[in-house]
Amino acid sequence: MIHFMIFLPLLGSLLLLITPVRWREEVAGFFAAATLGLGIGIWRAGGADLFSINWVPSLGITYSVALDGVSLTLALVTAFMTLIAILYASRRVANPGTMLALILAMETGLIGIFAARDLILFYVFFEDALLPALLMLAIYGKSHRMRALVKFGAYTLFGSLLMLVSIIGIKSLGGSPTFALVDLAANTVTGPAQTWLYLGFLAAMAVKLPLWPLHAWLPDFHEQNHDSGIPDLMGTLYKVGGYGIFRFGIELFPDASEQLRPILMGLAAFTALYAAWIAFRQTNWKRLLAYAGLSHMGFVALGVFSLNETAVIGAMYLLAFQNVYTGALFLAVGMLQERIGSLDTRVGGVMNQAGALGGLTMALWFASIAVPGFAGFVGEFSILLGAYQVQPWITFVAGLTTIAAAVYALSAFQTTFWQGRPLGGIKVADLHGTEWLVLGLPLAVALFFGVYSAPAINLIQPAVKTVLAALGAN
Amino acid sequence: MLQIPDVKLAAMLPILIVLAGAIASTVLGFNLPRRALTIINLVMLVLSGVSMITLWDTGTTAFGGGLQADNAAILLGLTILVGSIMTLLVSLDTAYRARVSFPEFDAMLMYAITGTLLIAFSGDLIVMLIGLEIMSLSGYVLATLQASRRAEESGLKYFLLGAVGSAILIYGIAFVYGATGSLNYADIAAKASGLTPANVGILVGGALLMLAGFAFKVALAPFHQWTPDVYGGAPTSVSLFLSTVVKVAAFAGMLRVFGGALADAPGWASVLQILTAATLIIGNTAALLQRNFKRMLAYSAVAHTGFLAMCLLGTPQAGGAALGYYLLVYTLMTAAALAVVAALQRDEMGMEIDDLRGLYYRHPAYAVALSVCLASLAGLPPFAGFFGKYLAFQAAFQNGYVWISVLAALTSVAALIYYLRPAMLMFMPDRTPAREYPNGQRTPTNFAVVLGVLGVTVLGILPNIWYGWVQNPAIWLFLAGR
Repeated sequence: MIHFMIFLPLLGSLLLLITPVRWREEVAGFFAAATLGLGIGIWRAGGADLFSINWVPSLGITYSVALDGVSLTLALVTAFMTLIAILYASRRVANPGTMLALILAMETGLIGIFAARDLILFYVFFEDALLPALLMLAIYGKSHRMRALVKFGAYTLFGSLLMLVSIIGIKSLGGSPTFALVDLAANTVTGPAQTWLYLGFLAAMAVKLPLWPLHAWLPDFHEQNHDSGIPDLMGTLYKVGGYGIFRFGIELFPDASEQLRPILMGLAAFTALYAAWIAFRQTNWKRLLAYAGLSHMGFVALGVFSLNETAVIGAMYLLAFQNVYTGALFLAVGMLQERIGSLDTRVGGVMNQAGALGGLTMALWFASIAVPGFAGFVGEFSILLGAYQVQPWITFVAGLTTIAAAVYALSAFQTTFWQGRPLGGIKVADLHGTEWLVLGLPLAVALFFGVYSAPAINLIQPAVKTVLAALGAN
Repeated sequence: MLQIPDVKLAAMLPILIVLAGAIASTVLGFNLPRRALTIINLVMLVLSGVSMITLWDTGTTAFGGGLQADNAAILLGLTILVGSIMTLLVSLDTAYRARVSFPEFDAMLMYAITGTLLIAFSGDLIVMLIGLEIMSLSGYVLATLQASRRAEESGLKYFLLGAVGSAILIYGIAFVYGATGSLNYADIAAKASGLTPANVGILVGGALLMLAGFAFKVALAPFHQWTPDVYGGAPTSVSLFLSTVVKVAAFAGMLRVFGGALADAPGWASVLQILTAATLIIGNTAALLQRNFKRMLAYSAVAHTGFLAMCLLGTPQAGGAALGYYLLVYTLMTAAALAVVAALQRDEMGMEIDDLRGLYYRHPAYAVALSVCLASLAGLPPFAGFFGKYLAFQAAFQNGYVWISVLAALTSVAALIYYLRPAMLMFMPDRTPAREYPNGQRTPTNFAVVLGVLGVTVLGILPNIWYGWVQNPAIWLFLAGR
């Protein structure tokens, strides 16, 4: 079942190429829904256990996959948001065949990243998720996309190639027979070599997170992407850095993680605050959202790097649900752009005519700035609570972000949706048809898990405990 | 008493079949059209491949070890044949347009292939040298065959620099002979460990001179300067041949000499790592600045030389396996990319990178194929280039060359940018009229492209199909013969 969940979207993506144009939306929707269904099935069955066979035996590369705990949560969220993206893309993008195929191809990469329990396999999926993202930007991007593309490609690949060297080093210096996580964890590298390898590994993850100073690709990537926000939605799912550090970083580099903890926590807190400050100055919705996402990722990083159980649980929780509401916000911005033809935050008066769009956007912003009752609050609060026990001052600095977040979110919302309607402004249509679902479903999820967090926490907590137990043993 | 020389036809058969093709092209060229000759030659190449496969695991040698058809030779020979077959397929369509459509072209090509196979099968330095010279001389002619100023210039450049390279190489061979008293790989390897200090000095000098000579042939920096001009100026099907088959053969020679005969000799490895580092830096940054796609591919071939040379820094077992895998993948992806260029270009200059804009909307299949090749050249999974790069990193890393693996990773970022740019341009919508040659799409070229693209995809998802053959360390342990 787990293999179906990973590869079904890719199969759908390839099938789309030979599907008649008339049926493409339906076929894509079917594959996305089926993947989500499979995911729920796996969840009901209590997760999928480790499945491992040799892939390239002579090199010690295995095909090891498992979906439990944190990975299952993230995979489910990915599948859910892919379905939403497909729903919206079918309506919004003209001639959406290619876009739908790319969305599905990317889903395979993302679920694969979360399922992989072998470092090389992880790397393969890691890079595979990149190709559709690049193609989406190339095909549907705006006029300055080449610059954004090169930046995006250069940053991510710079990191991942250093990670590849690290991966080779982990196996060769640790003397593990295979690249499977179990074997690598049993043969960890010790001493200064571990720190160097961790830095190489971290380079890839810090770019993906992204962590200051490796974040410069992010705003351009979002700004130059298609107006609809669909590639952005997939792009936010792309932030697998936090997961990678949690799954592989802590287990394989326990000493280095503890050694570098204060520096990394400091960087994370700085990223969160700095991004929130820049977000405040943005007048383009896409850039604003990009920096807001960056700020959230600073929080995630703070939680993961603190190595404190509560904080790590909070980080994984935030990582999962941040995708839901930030993704939906990108789509809401896309809808706004469709109506007023601009991404500027100083439009004014949209609320008068499009009340539902404004209302849902505001509710999603509340989720994003961690108002209690939404999923974001559970995550951010746990992170701050846990991180405070480790590094109170750094946590205090990071905590200031919540204030900054309220400022940038509400001021941008105010200038766009309230204020005076400019003279001669065109009539703005309100939400209709599937748009209600596209914004409503993610909001419902964010609200549900904000009030009733037990199902997700039950999944995440045991996995976090296991990983952190490996840390204590050393 | 008359000694009967140790001639075993079985070991020579793969080379003789190709040579027969070459002679047939020379002789029959008066009566048959060129297309018929090309088809005969294709059959010859396939037959040669079959005869190689029958020699698998037999370890046949001839001329007292001067020619050895061991498994290493067969694996490298098959790689050479794959590249040659792709060259012939592409030349079937493009030779006429490139104004090189006469039987001599085929004859030269087949002589060159004979030379390359001789290098792969060589058991001593003289056989290697003969092969190298046959290959090089035919290569000079091939590069000049087209009657154009650019081709003449590139051919002359190739000839002059190639001759210097050969001279240095021969001088190095003389030194090695002076130090060890033998030209046979196995003898050199056996004697290299127990030399007097004076002789060790001569051996090191010889090894370094040979390294410089080979560096000319494979285009290691700073001996690479002829490559972009020659690859860019020669007809595209010739560039395809020079950048794949000739390079594979030169690396086969390096593997034989440095991985086998001189494996225990001191000195050359530290020089090679500096050359490798320079190649990685220069090749990748220079490719970044190119505006012409064909020239960019030429520089990318230089950059790949750096990765291939990293394999030589590994132990013979790990490095040989890595090189064996990488060379095939490199051949497939470079040949397929150049085949697409050959089909789409308006003239033999290739095309500008900007001309690729919107190719996906004009020739979707070629655009997808070319982007698969570029992704593979860039080393992105799931294409085979990734495993090639990975194996090269691993070979160097495990033998203690950590810094060069890190450097390779860093320079790869430049590589990714220059592969990414054309790949992405192809998918950008474009409303200007097409800039491609209108009738470029022909079946044989398409077949070569499909072969390359399928090859890198399948070898990327299931690397064991080829790596399973090359990974056996025993193959590479006895590169010098046993």
